[in-house]
Amino acid sequence: MTALDHSGNPLRAKATFLGRMHEWVSTADHKKLGVMYVTTGLLFFLIGGLEATMMRWQLAVPDSSLLSPSDFNRLFTMHGTTMVFLVGMPILLGVANYIIPMQIGARDLAFPRLNAFGFWLFLFGGLLLYFSYFGAQGLYGMGSSPDVGWFAYAPLTERTYSRGHSTDYWILGLLVSSFGSIATGINLITTILTMRCPGMTLMKMPVMVWVMLIDAILIMIAMPPLAAAQVMLLFDRLMGAHFFDVQGGGSAILWQNLFWFFGHPEVYILILPAFAYVSEIIPVFCRKVIFGYPLMVAATVSIGFISLGVWVHHLFALGLSPMVNTIFMGSTMLIAIPTGLKMFNWVGTMIGGKIRFDTPMLFSTGFLALFLIGGLTGVMLSVVPFDWQVSDSYFVVGHFHYVLFGGLVFAIFAAIYYWFPKVTGKMLSETLGKWQFWLLFIGFNLTFGPMHVSGMLGMPRRIYTYHADRGWELWNMLSSIGVLVQIAGVTFFVWNVIQSLRKGKDAGADPWDGWTLEWATTSPPPEYNFEEIPKVYSCRPLWDLKHPEDPDWKYE
Amino acid sequence: MTTLKAQSMTVQAPPEPKSQLLNSGKCGMLCLIVSEIAFFGTLLAVYLFYIGKDPVGTIAPSDVLDVSVAPMKVVFNSIFLLTSSIWITLAVRCLARGNIMGFALWWLLTILFGAEFLVGTGMEWYGLIAVEGLTIRTNLFGSGFFTVVGFHAAHVTIGLFLLSLVFVLTCLGKMHKRHAEKVELLSWYWHFVDGIWIAVFTIVYILGN
Amino acid sequence: MAPDDHSNSKQQGIDLPAPTSAPFVCAFGVTLIFSGIVTNWAVSILGFVLALVGAIRWWHEVLPDNQKECIPFQSERPIVKPKVGGVAHLMTADSPHRARLPMEIHPYGAGIKGGIAGGIVMAIIAGTWGVVSHGSVWYPVNILGSTILPTMQGDDAAQLAQWHTASFVFGILIHAIMSSLVGLLYGIILPMVPHFRLAFSAIAIPLMWTGLTWASLEVINPLLQNEINWLVFIGSQVGFGITCWFVVSRSERIGTMQNWSMLERIGVESPNVPPIGGDE
Repeated sequence: MTALDHSGNPLRAKATFLGRMHEWVSTADHKKLGVMYVTTGLLFFLIGGLEATMMRWQLAVPDSSLLSPSDFNRLFTMHGTTMVFLVGMPILLGVANYIIPMQIGARDLAFPRLNAFGFWLFLFGGLLLYFSYFGAQGLYGMGSSPDVGWFAYAPLTERTYSRGHSTDYWILGLLVSSFGSIATGINLITTILTMRCPGMTLMKMPVMVWVMLIDAILIMIAMPPLAAAQVMLLFDRLMGAHFFDVQGGGSAILWQNLFWFFGHPEVYILILPAFAYVSEIIPVFCRKVIFGYPLMVAATVSIGFISLGVWVHHLFALGLSPMVNTIFMGSTMLIAIPTGLKMFNWVGTMIGGKIRFDTPMLFSTGFLALFLIGGLTGVMLSVVPFDWQVSDSYFVVGHFHYVLFGGLVFAIFAAIYYWFPKVTGKMLSETLGKWQFWLLFIGFNLTFGPMHVSGMLGMPRRIYTYHADRGWELWNMLSSIGVLVQIAGVTFFVWNVIQSLRKGKDAGADPWDGWTLEWATTSPPPEYNFEEIPKVYSCRPLWDLKHPEDPDWKYE
Repeated sequence: MTTLKAQSMTVQAPPEPKSQLLNSGKCGMLCLIVSEIAFFGTLLAVYLFYIGKDPVGTIAPSDVLDVSVAPMKVVFNSIFLLTSSIWITLAVRCLARGNIMGFALWWLLTILFGAEFLVGTGMEWYGLIAVEGLTIRTNLFGSGFFTVVGFHAAHVTIGLFLLSLVFVLTCLGKMHKRHAEKVELLSWYWHFVDGIWIAVFTIVYILGN
Repeated sequence: MAPDDHSNSKQQGIDLPAPTSAPFVCAFGVTLIFSGIVTNWAVSILGFVLALVGAIRWWHEVLPDNQKECIPFQSERPIVKPKVGGVAHLMTADSPHRARLPMEIHPYGAGIKGGIAGGIVMAIIAGTWGVVSHGSVWYPVNILGSTILPTMQGDDAAQLAQWHTASFVFGILIHAIMSSLVGLLYGIILPMVPHFRLAFSAIAIPLMWTGLTWASLEVINPLLQNEINWLVFIGSQVGFGITCWFVVSRSERIGTMQNWSMLERIGVESPNVPPIGGDE
């Protein structure tokens, strides 16, 4: 983290290592916190990726005994939990932390100290979760991590079935880190609603700000129910309450409903930021204003609303009444409409544009292609009979990895390539970036494409091995080979970051010829962002300044 | 950004933007309340779901929580909590006018009324646990009751702690007219705690029977 | 937790919230409180103490008034320069690529008329084939009728050559409906075909339709495959296509509203009339 120190602050910059550490620990600056969020998120991404690699290694050949079944259970639980709560959430909060105040022309978030508090809660929560590897039996045993799956279905999580403290660690780690997320979500909403610079009305905000506003509202509404459900589970385990304890009359189905009432909005909390980054990057690299801005905003708002009412599609195989299933099938299909609208708007922005395929744009285009596939398999899964056929199979695994990896992670890489020059003042290497993109793109499709097939062939998810006579060998082998290609891609990324920090090209204030306010200040920005709070007259304030003869505000 | 402004003046001047600023403290407090409502909403939904799902023979809500049988107990407490909302509003008004003495008095009254509610809840719990033998382990009703009412009591406790902190600062002479806004935010939290109690009371004590 | 004032107090620098370790300590304390649940109660106690210490420091930061630190201006100042060179505007509604949509279409009635005429030609060709090859003009219509009449589905060639009232009624009905619907489709599609409309309607579509029928007959009535002469089938389709094309292309064309403005389309303004007070 200290390697990224470019605070641009001549007074407090102490040369000693301890002094610099203290500066990072005690900071309330949204930019430093943003960098810490993204860096820790990327570190957890490497850990989660390592867990996935071990699982794919185990599954590469049938009847493999590399990992024990219980180790495998721990790995998929930790992989899922890490990727959702310790990779997706911090990176999206971190990028928002860094970029949103600059895009709306503010000097910091509304509550800077609360922002720091939220970050440290997230980090300590994540560390508490990983501490379970050492301390999950209490402090008297060997310790081991949670093994109940990232959605921790009751009654498997009850004391009767999950001995020791591993599930408690899952509950407490996530509880602490979700407090942090809620705090930061509230902070973002307040910042966006109250701290915009003069002239920036709601309909003149960049699309990213709109999307992150809806995202923060979803965090605020959807995460407390998870906390409530986890607290009830904790009471079950520690004090003998009966909420999800089926022997005591409790309901396992209730847990599933509560979890997914959080869980499905969570999926949209994760994917909306991807929409946000792509909506910023595509217009700049196509040299065109975003197509259909009002529609984009309306689609975002309706995705936010509808996403709160689709959670039962995770429970189609539960045996609820046909009426309930049909209603939620309808709402699930409904959400494809605003999402599709966004796809058309991005493509509409590209049509007729002067497209530059720099690495950020390359990743954004990759996002469009992969997210489209993930979205279409999502529509397939929304059809109840089809869902019954492939529920809990590798088809579902393939589907949500196309959405969350092909969608979110590709967009995150696009965002990193796009804003890295702003954050550090150095450009990332284009050559290494293109290598990374193509390796990741090929490796990704090689890994997750075949999963659709093995799922159709009936391979259930979360099995630690399989027999050779099922016809799944080829598809699993392909998936595992794909992981190696992806590792090569990620290695290029790590190498690229290290190289560019040491001797990257100087970026200058505005390397991409951007249009939003973050490009109006130096790279890296001074601690106060803007010497004088800017005034804006249109959605693209920098366009107005660069083209005084043809400014945007004339058309808006 | 001086340059940014200077250049925009050289071209044809666009319409001067109006600055629009909501108060961020109020906005943040409202958001906090919304997320708290989501939290309590989940607990209450679970409580509603489990009403009447206990096996016959175990302790039922109607055995121990009947408002019509012992009206003095919980209704009395509720009246104390709800009226404290009035006192805190009066206190904030006093502070906004610069009347520190009046503020301290009304504020103290709020704390006392809130504390009475907490003591009342404690006595009710003592009765339930020691006399009736209802604990969180007894059955679904016990689990739900102690969780919902317990979380509400915890919020009252946090509120009382913050109120007392402000009271101590007032006694030390550190509260002034300009703090009226921060104090008002605290009063919003207190109103929220009261409002949630109305929902808890309706569901636990009336619908639950 | 009140908002910090971001005003620009002095000319040398800008006031920003002072750095503080209070949130860090407080967050660590809160985490320890929770960790105590799964380790030892003493951890929770320690956590509570730390959280309290952090909270008190935090209140000292904000409670009387927010602590601030003045950050001096940095020497480097960004300048956004106007760019040289004009701005290219995308061409809008009247640009050439919109012309791919038909600007003029045939009336829908022309398509139906063409379909009916084509259907008659098709019936004549099929009837002639029936007379020549099986000595019966009813043979083709019986084939058509037997696709939906279950009683006829096992019939051999001799039975198909005889008169069946039901089969005749249904056969003609199917033929009439299909012909007019396909004709309607021709009428709509033909204006959108850029070149070689005759080849499209006389060769491409009949071949596609025959392929479709051939492939789906397996499902509808597998026994029929032996009874149909596919060459004649294609011939009758070509007859239909040519006739339909002839009828459709002779009809008058009407303009579409593709290049009208929204106001004109919904009838608020009338097209091609300059607005009142317009200085055109």
